[in-house]
Amino acid sequence: MAVADFVITLLTFIAIYSLFGIGLNLKFGFTGLIDFGHVAYFMIGAYVTVVLTMPAGAAGYSGIGGFALPELFAGFGPLGSLLGWILGVLGGMIAAALVSLAVGVPTLRLREDYLAITALGIATILTTVVNDEEWLFNGPFGINTIHTPLREAFPLSLGSFTLNMAIFGILSLATLVGIGYWVTKLFQRQGKRGKIILGLLIPLVTTWYFVLPTLSDGMVAFTRNTLWLFDPTAGPNGGLDYDRFVLVLSVTVLSGGYWLVERTINSPYGRVLRAIREDEEVPRALGKETFQYKIQALMIGSALAGAAGALWAINIGFIAPDQFGALITFYAYTAVIVGGTANNKGVILGTAFFWGIRNGTRFIDVPSQYSIQLAAARLILIGVVLILILYYRPEGILGEQDYDISLPSRDSSGGTDNV
Amino acid sequence: MSDEVTPTQTSTRDSPSTDSRTDDDQRNPILRVEGVTKQFGGINALDGVNLTVDPGMTGLIGPNGAGKTTLFNCLTGFHKPDEGRIHLYGEDTTGREPPAVAQQGMVRTFQIPRELADMTVFENLLVAPMNQHGEQLRGAWVRGTQFVEEEQAIRDQARAIAEFFEIDHLLDQPAGSLSGGQRKLLEIARALLTEPDIVLLDEPLAGVNPTLEQKILGRIKELVNDGYSFLLIEHDIDLIMENCERVVVMHQGSVLTAGSPEAVQADERVIEAYLGGDDV
Repeated sequence: MAVADFVITLLTFIAIYSLFGIGLNLKFGFTGLIDFGHVAYFMIGAYVTVVLTMPAGAAGYSGIGGFALPELFAGFGPLGSLLGWILGVLGGMIAAALVSLAVGVPTLRLREDYLAITALGIATILTTVVNDEEWLFNGPFGINTIHTPLREAFPLSLGSFTLNMAIFGILSLATLVGIGYWVTKLFQRQGKRGKIILGLLIPLVTTWYFVLPTLSDGMVAFTRNTLWLFDPTAGPNGGLDYDRFVLVLSVTVLSGGYWLVERTINSPYGRVLRAIREDEEVPRALGKETFQYKIQALMIGSALAGAAGALWAINIGFIAPDQFGALITFYAYTAVIVGGTANNKGVILGTAFFWGIRNGTRFIDVPSQYSIQLAAARLILIGVVLILILYYRPEGILGEQDYDISLPSRDSSGGTDNV
Repeated sequence: MSDEVTPTQTSTRDSPSTDSRTDDDQRNPILRVEGVTKQFGGINALDGVNLTVDPGMTGLIGPNGAGKTTLFNCLTGFHKPDEGRIHLYGEDTTGREPPAVAQQGMVRTFQIPRELADMTVFENLLVAPMNQHGEQLRGAWVRGTQFVEEEQAIRDQARAIAEFFEIDHLLDQPAGSLSGGQRKLLEIARALLTEPDIVLLDEPLAGVNPTLEQKILGRIKELVNDGYSFLLIEHDIDLIMENCERVVVMHQGSVLTAGSPEAVQADERVIEAYLGGDDV
C-alpha cells in the first residue's frame, strides 16, 4: 500500500470527524451547551441513513426496513440513485435533529453541568437500546448491507491508461500545488513561534510522504504518492478508485457543513448564540427567547453529527452499536479544545492532530511485543498535549475565531465594520 | 401615607388618579404593582408591595435588604411573585418570562454589570436591538436587502449610543477589558438599544467615581427629556433627592412611603428606617 492510500484513509477520517466536531462546536464552542451525548446523533444519522438507503430483506438483517430509496429513485436517470442516497442522508440528519429536540426540551432548562451528565446518560441509553433491541436495527450484529452511492461508477476510468494517468495526474499535481501555495501563505502569516512549528512540521511531513517511500520502494512509490488521485491498479486502465471518491465526498459535505455553521454564527443570530454562551441572563433581559436559540443550535449541531454518521457508514462499510461509544464524543471534545474552541478552522486542525496521532502512528515500525505499549503511548501523548493546552492556552491552538458580518459598502467610509 | 398617590392605589387608568394631574395621557402610570409578595424559605423578601411608577425618573431607595433588587427581579420576570399582580401599561405581566417582559417595553440592568466579556463592546451593543430579521435562522441564512439595511441601521444606532455614553473609542475592545464605570455605561447603553419604555436601573452609580456619576446622571436626565422613563435603585439618598421627580422608599419588603423628594425627606418613618428602627 502506498503512503498515498494511507493518507487518503486518514484524510477521510479527519473530514468525517471534523464535520462531527463542527456540529459539536456549534453547541459547545459558540452556544456554550455542554453536550456529552453528541455521539448519539452520529449513531442515529448513520443508522437512519443506512436503513433508508439499503434494500429490503437483506440477508442477516432482522430490523426495520430497509427502504431502498436509491432504487426507488433510480428511474429518474443516472443520478436518481445518488438523489435517493442524499434523501437518505437528509432523513438521517432530520432524525438526529428530532431526537436532540426530544432530549433538549427537558434538559436545556438544566444548569450546564447537569445538562452534560444528563446528555451523557441519554446517549448511553440510546446506544444500549440500539444494541439490545434486535427488532430495531439488528442489535449487536450491526448492518453490513450498506448502500454506497455511485459505487458502480468506480473505479472511474476516462479511457486509456495514458489518458487516465494524464487527467488524474494533472488534477493530483494541481491539488499538491494548491496545498503548497496555501502552506506558503500560512507560513508567511505566522508569528515567530508559528514559523518554528511549521518549519519543523513541513520538512517532516514532506520527508515522510515523498522521501522515505522513494528510498525504500523506488520511483514507483514516488509516482504513486505524487499522482495520488490516480490508482494504476484500479480497473483495467487504472483510474480513480472508490476510496478517493469517498474522500472527495466527505470533504464536500464537510465544506457544506462548515459554510452553514460559518453563515449561522456570522450573523445577528450568531451574536445571540454567543451572548447565551457568555451569560444567558443578559440576552433574556434584552428580550431574546434564549430557549428557542439553544434548541435550534442543538438541533443543527446534531444534524451535522448525523451527516457525519452517514459518511462514516459508507467509509467503514459496516455499522454496529459498539462503534458509537461515549469515547467518540470525548475524542471530539479533545479535538475541539486542542484546535480552538469556537473556531471552526481550529476544529479541523484539532481533529487532524488527534487522528493524525491516533491513526497516523500505526505504521511506525516497532517490534511486535511493544505494539500494546505504542497504542497506550499514543493516548498518553494526546492526553499530555490536552493538559498542556488547557494549562497554557485554554482557548486552544488557534483561539476563538474572528467574526464578520460582511455588508456591501455603503459609501467610501462606512463599509468596513468588523464585528 | 404621603399626600401624593401611590402605595395601595387601586385606581384604574381610566379614572384620573389625582386631581393635580393635568395631562392625563402623560401621567397614566407606566407600572402598577399590587400586593406583590415573594418568599425565600421562611423569609418574606417582598411583603405586599404596592406602588405605581409614572413617566419620568423615579428613585427607589431603602436600607440594605429592603427588597429593592428582589422587586426588580419580580418586575422583570427573573423571579415569579408568590402573590400580587404587576401591570405594565395596564397589561398584566405577572409571572411572564424575562424576554416577554422586555418585549413589552420594560428592560433592566443588573446590579453587578453583566457584560458579555469575550464579545466586543460593539457586539455587546449590537445584540440588544429587538426583533432583528437576522436573529431568526431563516433571516441569518437567506440574506436579502432587508438584512443588510437592518444591520447597517443597527450599527449606526449602536455607534450613536456609544458616542452618547462616550464609550465609542472602546467599540473594538472585548467588553471584559472595560473598567467598572465603563461597564455600567455599557449596561445602560445596551438596555436603551432595545428601545424600551421604561428602564429599571439597579444601582447604576454604585462604585462609580463622582465625575462619571454626574456624567451618567446627566445622560439619564437627557433621556428622560427624550421620553424615556427610569426606575432607579440607588443608595446615595442625596443624589436621588436631587435628581428624581418621585421617590419610593422600601423597608422590610414593602413600600414605606412614596412621593416627592421633599415629602419623603420630611417623613419620620424614612429617617427611622435608615437609622435602624425595626418597629416602624
